[in-house]
Amino acid sequence: MKNNFLYFLGVFAALGISWAGIVLGSNAQLGNLAPYYDDNEQATFPSWMAGQAARGQLVYKDLGCVACHTQQVRRPGFGSDQERGWGDRQSVARDYIYQPFPQLGSARIGPDLANLGDRKPSAPDADDILHLLYTGGKGMPSYRFLFEKRKVGVGAQPALDALSLTGSQKPAEGWEVVPTNRATALAAYLVSLKNPYTFPEAAPVAAAKDDEVKNMNPAAPNPPPKAGIDANAEPDKTSPAMVAGGTPMASPPTPAPAGQAAASPGAPAPQQGTK
Amino acid sequence: MSNKPEYTPVDSASSCTLLFLLASALGWLVIGGVLAIVAALQLHSPAFLAHCPVFTYGRVTVMAETSFVYGWLANAGLALVLWVLGRLAGEPLRAQNWALGGTLFWNVGVTAAVVGAACGELTGFSLLGLPKFVQLILFASYIAIAIPGLLAWTGRLRQVSFASHWYGAAALFIFPWLISIVHVMLFAVPVRGVLQPIIAGWYAQCAWTLWIAPLFLCVAYYVVPKVTGKTMPSYEFASLGFWTLLFVGGLTGGRHLIGGPVPAWIPSLAVVSCALLLFHTLIVFLNLKGGVCGGTVATRFISFGLAAYILGALVDVVTSFHGIALHTQFTLFDEAQKQLALYGAATTVLFGGIYFALPRITGKAWFSGALVKAHLTLTLAGILLLLVSLVLASVTQSQELLDKNIPLGDIAGHMQVWLSGAIVAQVILLLGNVAFTANFYLTSCRILNISAPAWFATPAATETHVS
Repeated sequence: MKNNFLYFLGVFAALGISWAGIVLGSNAQLGNLAPYYDDNEQATFPSWMAGQAARGQLVYKDLGCVACHTQQVRRPGFGSDQERGWGDRQSVARDYIYQPFPQLGSARIGPDLANLGDRKPSAPDADDILHLLYTGGKGMPSYRFLFEKRKVGVGAQPALDALSLTGSQKPAEGWEVVPTNRATALAAYLVSLKNPYTFPEAAPVAAAKDDEVKNMNPAAPNPPPKAGIDANAEPDKTSPAMVAGGTPMASPPTPAPAGQAAASPGAPAPQQGTK
Repeated sequence: MSNKPEYTPVDSASSCTLLFLLASALGWLVIGGVLAIVAALQLHSPAFLAHCPVFTYGRVTVMAETSFVYGWLANAGLALVLWVLGRLAGEPLRAQNWALGGTLFWNVGVTAAVVGAACGELTGFSLLGLPKFVQLILFASYIAIAIPGLLAWTGRLRQVSFASHWYGAAALFIFPWLISIVHVMLFAVPVRGVLQPIIAGWYAQCAWTLWIAPLFLCVAYYVVPKVTGKTMPSYEFASLGFWTLLFVGGLTGGRHLIGGPVPAWIPSLAVVSCALLLFHTLIVFLNLKGGVCGGTVATRFISFGLAAYILGALVDVVTSFHGIALHTQFTLFDEAQKQLALYGAATTVLFGGIYFALPRITGKAWFSGALVKAHLTLTLAGILLLLVSLVLASVTQSQELLDKNIPLGDIAGHMQVWLSGAIVAQVILLLGNVAFTANFYLTSCRILNISAPAWFATPAATETHVS
């Protein structure tokens, strides 16, 4: 290699190819992913994050929760994600389109949280989460700096949001433990993590065969779309018209008026969640 | 190390710049080591320092990683690459003020990143614990540091270039591109949804294969033939190995996203690329296997590093397959792979490079042979213990993660035995690095005669007396 310029061009091309291939390629495929409008529900999915939850995600990010928790459920049969009740279906790219800071994570020291608010058989509520944050759990530290321990005023009632603690955790008489705004936001965020709606590309592969087992929940018996077989991976292969039972899907970029739902007459209703 | 090293004006003219880079690198190495111990302790017993918001496990791991990668690896790698390029140019480095200023600001940037992480400025992405405001500082200062290296590359004496040239210049070019792309696409005008983790994963992989690996391969390709004094075997293939790394290396990152909510072609592409990359690894092995026989401290470190590099490439291929990834994904095996690459390969080769370069830069032999031996023993033992502990912990973790009846909290408890091994390993590594740092400062301070700078002299000595 004697020519500096040619060498430089080569280095440029090498980085350019991997950038164009992976970054631009996936951007072209997923960059315009639209929310999914369901006729029966007359709503689009996924839904926007509530303001409190969006603030909670910032807390989640700045505490570094991602070091121990993933937020991606793998498809049934690949790992024990489904058996552990982390989610009935795999996570797909469409689940994240409204998340400003998707925290997929890469380590499972703690459980997956992608679907925490919709866990089976019972999902924790905000109180449970605040308790866990205060007391800590097996393998999880307590985050007491997210709480304020303060004196109850003379003759005053304890605060409404004071934690009801028992045993050794109970504060001394006349004291109470109340969550700070950060703790409340974090709990609101964690409760809001749910993927109740099964997108066509996310229909469980395993469900295609032993359908009766999967239909235990009150969800509509949904013939898994053909695209579901491999769609976890390539949701937009046939973009823009996603194959759902062979019918093009309506993909309005914004919540569409109800009348527009007729855009996909005859399409099998995508499976609904339990809620 | 007892032989008096060769000493040329090419080296001595740039000693100030290079020592500044190396001194800051070693400072970060020790800081990163302390933080890594804290992280290992927290992984073992989560209650450790849990009351302190600055030291949540998530923040400590990021602080440790940033100190290690951007503090230690970058500073030390840049110092050695500048040194190698300067030597190959056959004349003292030009525009050294740029490198000095750049180093200063680079370290200010890394400090800001570590302090930022302590205050919660996290990104959530692996190898990218750099807050938005730091990225521009790092971008500009890296270019400033690279200028003398690029001038040495373009102004070399002979027209022909060597393998060290290719790897060194590539490392100098690529990092600013990478960080600017990431800055624009993830922070300035962030893309939506899962595109963020895809881009972050691409960056993390490129930072390893296209930036850190070229940094230390540049050093290995220079030092090994220098020590052995022989022509490099199969050198005619070296350029092929280089271009394979550049063109294929950036495509291998998707293996971490297997089963994730991303297009399937990304992990599939990674399987193919990881396998293709073995071609590069094979050529590196063929070229540099001569150094394995060498008996100096430098070649021992470098041959250990190259063995780790080759092993790492093989493990990457194996774990990129679906069936294997099912067991290794999301476990501490990922961490073990990362340590094998960043510590086992990159760090040890840079250690070897520093052992070879410092006596030439300073013109003096190492201060203490005992400290050199201690460092070698402690480092190799520490790395092996760390890897073994993490792998054994990940075996437990992997089996129990697949068993739906074992709650996650219990798994953490079952790993504790192995995780205590990781703590011991981190302590051993830190001890070795403290010995190394002490040896480095003692050696270089002797040269710079820092022991009695004028501003610490007695006032009377600095006064001008007029009678």
